[in-house]
Amino acid sequence: MDILQTKALKKYYGTGDTQVRALDRVDLSVAQGEFVAIVGTSGSGKSTLLHMLGGLDRPTAGTVTVDGKDIFTLKDEALTIFRRRKIGFVFQAYNLVPVLSVWENIVLPIQLDGSPVDEQFVRQVVQTLGLENRLDSLPSQLSGGQQQRVAIARALATKPAILLADEPTGNLDSKTSQDVLGLMKVTGQKFGQTMVMITHNEEIAQLADRIVRIEDGKIVRS
Amino acid sequence: MLKVSNRKCIRRLSDRSLRAAKTRNLVAVLAIALTTVLFTSLFTIGASINYSFQQQNFRQAGGDMHATFKNLTETQLRELADDPLIEETGTRLFIGMPSSDPPFNKSHVEISYMDMDENEARHYFIEPDEGSLPREGTAEAATDTRVLALLGVEPKVGAQFTIPVGIDENTQQAQYVERTFTLSGWWEYDSAIVASNVILPRSAAEELCALSAGDPQSQTGKWHLDVMFDSDFGIREKAEQVLSNHGYQCDDPTADNYIAIGVNWGYTGAQMDMVADPTTIAALAAMLLLIMFTGYLIIYNVFQISVTGDIRFYGLLKTIGTTPRQLRRIIRRQAFVLSLAGIPLGWVVGFAVGGWLTPVVMAQTSSTSSYVSVSPLIFVGAALFSLLTVRISCHKPGKMAARVSPVEAVRYTDADVHQPKARRGRHIARKGAGARLPHMAWANLGRSRGKTAVTVISLALAVVLLQTTYTFAVGFDMDKYLADKSAVDFIVGDAAYFQTGAGFTSVDENVPENVIADIDAVGGITASGRIYGQVSGVQEFVTEEWYRRSWGRWNTADALDQMVAGQERTADGLLADRAQLYGMEDFPLSRITVLDGDLSALSDPTANAVAAVYTTDDYGDPEAQSHWAKVGDTVHLRYVEEYEYYYQDTGEVIPPDEVDAAFLGERAIGSRAKTYREKAYTVVAAVVVPSSIDYRFYGADQFVMGAEQFQQDTQTDAVMTYVFDVSDDAADRMEAFLADYTEHVQPLFDYESKATYQAEFDGFRSMFLTLGGVLSGIIALIGVLNFVNAVLTGILTRRHEFAVLQAIGMTDRQLQRMLMLEGLYYTGLALAVSLALSVTVGPVIGAGCSSVFWFFTYRFTILPIALLLPVFALLGALIPAVSGRAAARYSVVERLRQE
Repeated sequence: MDILQTKALKKYYGTGDTQVRALDRVDLSVAQGEFVAIVGTSGSGKSTLLHMLGGLDRPTAGTVTVDGKDIFTLKDEALTIFRRRKIGFVFQAYNLVPVLSVWENIVLPIQLDGSPVDEQFVRQVVQTLGLENRLDSLPSQLSGGQQQRVAIARALATKPAILLADEPTGNLDSKTSQDVLGLMKVTGQKFGQTMVMITHNEEIAQLADRIVRIEDGKIVRS
Repeated sequence: MLKVSNRKCIRRLSDRSLRAAKTRNLVAVLAIALTTVLFTSLFTIGASINYSFQQQNFRQAGGDMHATFKNLTETQLRELADDPLIEETGTRLFIGMPSSDPPFNKSHVEISYMDMDENEARHYFIEPDEGSLPREGTAEAATDTRVLALLGVEPKVGAQFTIPVGIDENTQQAQYVERTFTLSGWWEYDSAIVASNVILPRSAAEELCALSAGDPQSQTGKWHLDVMFDSDFGIREKAEQVLSNHGYQCDDPTADNYIAIGVNWGYTGAQMDMVADPTTIAALAAMLLLIMFTGYLIIYNVFQISVTGDIRFYGLLKTIGTTPRQLRRIIRRQAFVLSLAGIPLGWVVGFAVGGWLTPVVMAQTSSTSSYVSVSPLIFVGAALFSLLTVRISCHKPGKMAARVSPVEAVRYTDADVHQPKARRGRHIARKGAGARLPHMAWANLGRSRGKTAVTVISLALAVVLLQTTYTFAVGFDMDKYLADKSAVDFIVGDAAYFQTGAGFTSVDENVPENVIADIDAVGGITASGRIYGQVSGVQEFVTEEWYRRSWGRWNTADALDQMVAGQERTADGLLADRAQLYGMEDFPLSRITVLDGDLSALSDPTANAVAAVYTTDDYGDPEAQSHWAKVGDTVHLRYVEEYEYYYQDTGEVIPPDEVDAAFLGERAIGSRAKTYREKAYTVVAAVVVPSSIDYRFYGADQFVMGAEQFQQDTQTDAVMTYVFDVSDDAADRMEAFLADYTEHVQPLFDYESKATYQAEFDGFRSMFLTLGGVLSGIIALIGVLNFVNAVLTGILTRRHEFAVLQAIGMTDRQLQRMLMLEGLYYTGLALAVSLALSVTVGPVIGAGCSSVFWFFTYRFTILPIALLLPVFALLGALIPAVSGRAAARYSVVERLRQE
């Protein structure tokens, strides 16, 4: 069963001669538990696609279905709530909240939802990512690799339907990149997590189960 | 050293980055403007008060010309007037004063010709409100409303009036000639003016002067030259210089080339007043510091926040080779440019506020009129202090920009990394509570503690000031204030009696029986009585120790020794000293406080009884050491008819007509009674005379006698005051009658009533409320501006962070709520700080105030804070809510992209 599906997804900016077709009729399916890498050059539309998948931006036309729900039928407030329950984000710039400790950052989405924290599960995630000794540190006291691992833990903590990662290793050196990616993959497998990752790095992309290539807003090979 | 011309480039950088920060600029300009408003209004009030005193001095001195050359011939006048040191002149040909019979017996009026245009007339405050100065060759004259009122003439151009003109008044040939004039113009009489003028045309003046017998002592026909120099510094020196330029001198009156000069004491007096009073200077300094601090809080915060926000920009500049000194200059320049916009704005508003407040303050001084000063110094001073505040405020932000390491700057965010690690430890223990909104909001306040602290203090300052103002206003205790003053319902006396620094001193200030009859005719008086004041010489005999104690307070040891040596001594070693007597009818006697003994004997003129008057401190407690006489003591009073004076060194008696001259000399002079009566009295009571009906100045040891005894023994009967109570329903009628009566029918008299004191008290309290209210209002404005700025920039700099929070699932409403919580924490903290200050410092200041203002009772109150609670709650919630919308303008994706 496909946990994530897009149909004729379009995102156009502007009109007439200056119109930019960031996404042009994209059809993409991701199966439960699959690890997909989306690769493309900068400006190819891969970030736009990811934003659509995560419900951060609304498309010009087409649908995105997550876990059987057409997400753009939801109003903003409901979409946000759906997002924090079903979708985990990992950003290139880690984007941790500087005033919160590692633990607080990880459980933040759960607490924003007002749900009880499944402490046992979060501890497992934390252990898998090797963060158990840094839980009361502040983000500024961690290395880049550690910060990104916290971001991954945060994305996983809500047990989302899919985890979306936007160049998760973009700010890391290659050794650390490999470590973080390896951990990400292991964690994904361990928790049966569907993952979609954007990267322009072929080597990194090789770690995925499937590579989707995008050029000028269109999927060229899948 | 090579001089690099990089200023232009720095200027360009500074100006460009200035233009990029529009919101910051708006806030900074407002902040600087408000600071300038405070400085300008303070200086306007200060300068206006000083200016008002000076103007009053000028009015008393008769003009604002710097100096006068006196008693000149017309030739001398022309000669001196041409001196290059002199910038402006006014000349006067003095004729004389009107006969000193009524109606001119109590007012100083001078009749003269003045050579001036209407522009120069303003120097003498004789610019006609209506009509003009008299034209040459006519029988016209111009004067003020007081003279017209004394003559009973309507102030109407064309009215005729007749006045008896004194010629050669201070000589043997004195004569009065009556002249009738047509009123060509008149001006309003200002009560600060001592001498009124009647201005005649030259022909009329010369005709009158020609009647003079020509005695050199006569003032009639003498010219006076009033001059203005380039500035009011060194007036005397300049005047002396003018004299010596023309071969005259002012030192030796007997020489032929002597010309007397007079320096306008209005200038020196005002300058002295300015320098002399340390309390005023301390208060002024405290105000300046408070304003600078307030201004610093916001201007510093604005720049600190802005530099923090632009830290990458400064890091970049540094990377490409901008020196720290240049970075500081960039920031200083921005601050200066913003000041150029803010200061003029502050001038305008501040001057308006100051001008509006000056009369409020002046109403509480004893002065009669207030004038608003427009001295350029006000604006220069305000600008300098504002610039200084700005300069101090951007010192630290400048240093911060200069210190930034280029590498760090790239990674720098608003969240300071210097937080102590230990503080974080506890969160793990209760991680369930971890990231809830209140906690996050609180943590956000802690990101930049400096900014938070400054914002909170800035808000709290306004609250504390308001709290102080309110505490003051409610602390002024009307009952306490009136307790001493409301001994009787009404007091009527000569206007001089009620004036600060004047008081009842001579028989001229007596209340005549016809005035008392007029008042009695109004009706409704339930009890009344006269208080007779002393107008003759009375002496008592005291020990040298007592004499030294009572006079030692006002005299140096040397002067005191000389005084002791100069006093007459009795056989048993007592010194003669002045005594001050009251003669009281039964009603006032019933209103004085008896400390000891009994007053009944005072009403019996054969009992030879007196009461000794003790003083009280401001709190109404009698001072036991304030009089030597106790109940049962015998007091010998001596009524002196004539004194004689003698040189202390030789004992030689000075002839009466040489006494005045002798006092000007170097030799010590003694005095003693020559002809007198003496009488012994028994002290039957120790009393306190309520301050509202006492002499209103402290002269000597005081005794109260019954009215009959007083008249019989002093052989005088000058009524100092007529005091009375009225029935409740008659109070308003009497008040209205006296207000009109003392204004129009008998303007030389004045009155005080309970209503007067109440108004006085209300005026005093409202001055505090107005000043405190305006001050806390402006400071509150600054505080709120600071708060808005902190919240707004806090949101703008965290746009990216908010986008992340929204991406991971924070809803708009949750974000709004977090921002509102942050706002509420700010205002809540401000109130908490104010409350803490009020609780701890309040009683200390309250105690201090009680000791300064005797009618102040400290009452603990937090009413203002309680009242501000909803206001601050609204502010705290509303401002972030509104500002939050600014951040929500961009989509999450756009904000995520921004780095």
